[in-house]
Amino acid sequence: MRGWPIAVKRKQWEPLAFAAPSLALIALVILFPLAYSFYLSLQNFDLSVGSEYEFIGGKNYVEALFKDQRFLGSVWNTAVIIAPSLAVELLLGLGIALLLSRAVRGRPIITALLAIPAMVSPVMAAMAWRMMFGVKFGAINNLGRQLGLLDVYFDWFATPWLSIVSVVLVEVWHNTPFMMLVLLAGIQSIPQELYDAARADGATPWQRFWSITLPLLKFTMVVGVMIRLIDLTKLFGLIFVLTYGGPGSSTETVAFDTYLVGFKDFRMSYAAALSYVIVGGVLVLTLVFLWIQRIREARAA
Amino acid sequence: MAIAIERPRIVARRARRYRAQRGLAHVLTYLGLAAALVFFLGPFFWIVTTSLKGNEDFFAFPPVWIPAEPSLAHYVGLFTRSSGARYFTNSLVISSLSMIAALVVSLPTAYAIARWRFGGGLLSVFLLVLRMLPAIALIIPIYIMYKMLGLTNSYLGLVAVYTVVYIPFAVWLLVGFLRDFPVEIEEAAMIDGCSRLRALIQVVVPIIAPGMAVVALFAFIATWNEFLFAVVLTGIETKTMMVLVTSFTSGGTDMFYGEASASVVLGVLPAFAVAFMLQRYLVKGLALGGTKG
Repeated sequence: MRGWPIAVKRKQWEPLAFAAPSLALIALVILFPLAYSFYLSLQNFDLSVGSEYEFIGGKNYVEALFKDQRFLGSVWNTAVIIAPSLAVELLLGLGIALLLSRAVRGRPIITALLAIPAMVSPVMAAMAWRMMFGVKFGAINNLGRQLGLLDVYFDWFATPWLSIVSVVLVEVWHNTPFMMLVLLAGIQSIPQELYDAARADGATPWQRFWSITLPLLKFTMVVGVMIRLIDLTKLFGLIFVLTYGGPGSSTETVAFDTYLVGFKDFRMSYAAALSYVIVGGVLVLTLVFLWIQRIREARAA
Repeated sequence: MAIAIERPRIVARRARRYRAQRGLAHVLTYLGLAAALVFFLGPFFWIVTTSLKGNEDFFAFPPVWIPAEPSLAHYVGLFTRSSGARYFTNSLVISSLSMIAALVVSLPTAYAIARWRFGGGLLSVFLLVLRMLPAIALIIPIYIMYKMLGLTNSYLGLVAVYTVVYIPFAVWLLVGFLRDFPVEIEEAAMIDGCSRLRALIQVVVPIIAPGMAVVALFAFIATWNEFLFAVVLTGIETKTMMVLVTSFTSGGTDMFYGEASASVVLGVLPAFAVAFMLQRYLVKGLALGGTKG
């Protein structure tokens, strides 16, 4: 490098110049709004009252974390939706990935077909299922009645508990394909020789699964679950279309509650504070995710 | 003597049992996959057939699963009565513009990271954290800023947000494609007197075009599917398909099925196209490097 001072000098500004447009845009459209939002969260800006506001310090945060039963309830709802969704998505995704990893004819086309739900917008997925759940014209009630399994027009969102089950079902339909793709890639990266060796030693398929596939797939599973977990904390479109938070506020998620506070009640400052509480939670999850990645890379090296 | 007769029989029986087991496992595998296909594609099938039904079919019992006389009446209704044509065009225009803008802005940045390790590991972590950032944290300040600037209900406002929100993802994917690209080719071009920028545009871009197409398609589908920014920032003229489809929920659980199902069919079309075009990249794209390595 020391041999070409001119070339080095000319190069120094180039990386920055190449990166500048996107960094400038990120600063303008993401970082500045985030800072402005933090400023807002310390005020009492409420559009339903007026356009004037004053500094109130951390009051919004105290309200969000200790007093706001509706928001704290939405944290609980989010957790209640996330836990069973993740469990079912992992098990179902693993099952289908294992089936696909066997010598199956037409695997690429079946995989692509099964992947489609994950490519669809949550709003569209929820709309399709909302119509499927429809009381009089929905496919589920119609099929149930035709097969003699149902004798009434069933309302699948009648009770809070039932609503959560329905939301979880749609979420599982929507995102199991993602888990399936991740796990299938993981399974296919396991060296075939391990299975051949185990088979030569007389291991049953069940033993091969427990002592080869599962241990070697552990990190892939953790990574898949972490990605889904972080995405699920943002659950919004699905709820907006499927239940609009109801019945009551039993399916309001944190993102949906913040949306209602901001764009139905117009309490802008308070909504900003709520969004910062969510960011805090997501940040913690992201750091855990990065930490897991680092462990994996350290083990791989 | 007895042993000599017995042996082949046992072997034959074992082989038969083994083959039977394998055959059974095969049948079960395909049955399981068939069940999965029915569960994951059934809703699409039902939505498509529903969008082709006549109004009287909705009330029929036993239910009509496949309409005897498929009709496009609901699509016509959607395009005329519900301004579906306008919102479909909006979605197309907004997604295309955001896709192009995100690609143009992200490519040089990705190049700086891939060739000069610009920003070190810190920039990569920064981009990952940005991608994890919930949209709900941005929508409140951006809504207020847009109100002040008069950018709500405009293409520009939505395209700007989509472009920038998509940069981390696009950069991440493009860095991967650029790292696979041999440095020697651009160095040869630069020795011949090409500037960096010209080498990037005239030498690198044509060769990594397939990779850029992958990124572009993901960007298109991501902006097509986006809902939170769209529902808050658009007005009557700039609504996207995602916002249009939610307007059909106002009729309660038995809303008007015809146009609603037609709009869902149009709304999921790009997903079908992209799932088939991007088979090989689905995992990488969906997980954003989460599964790389």
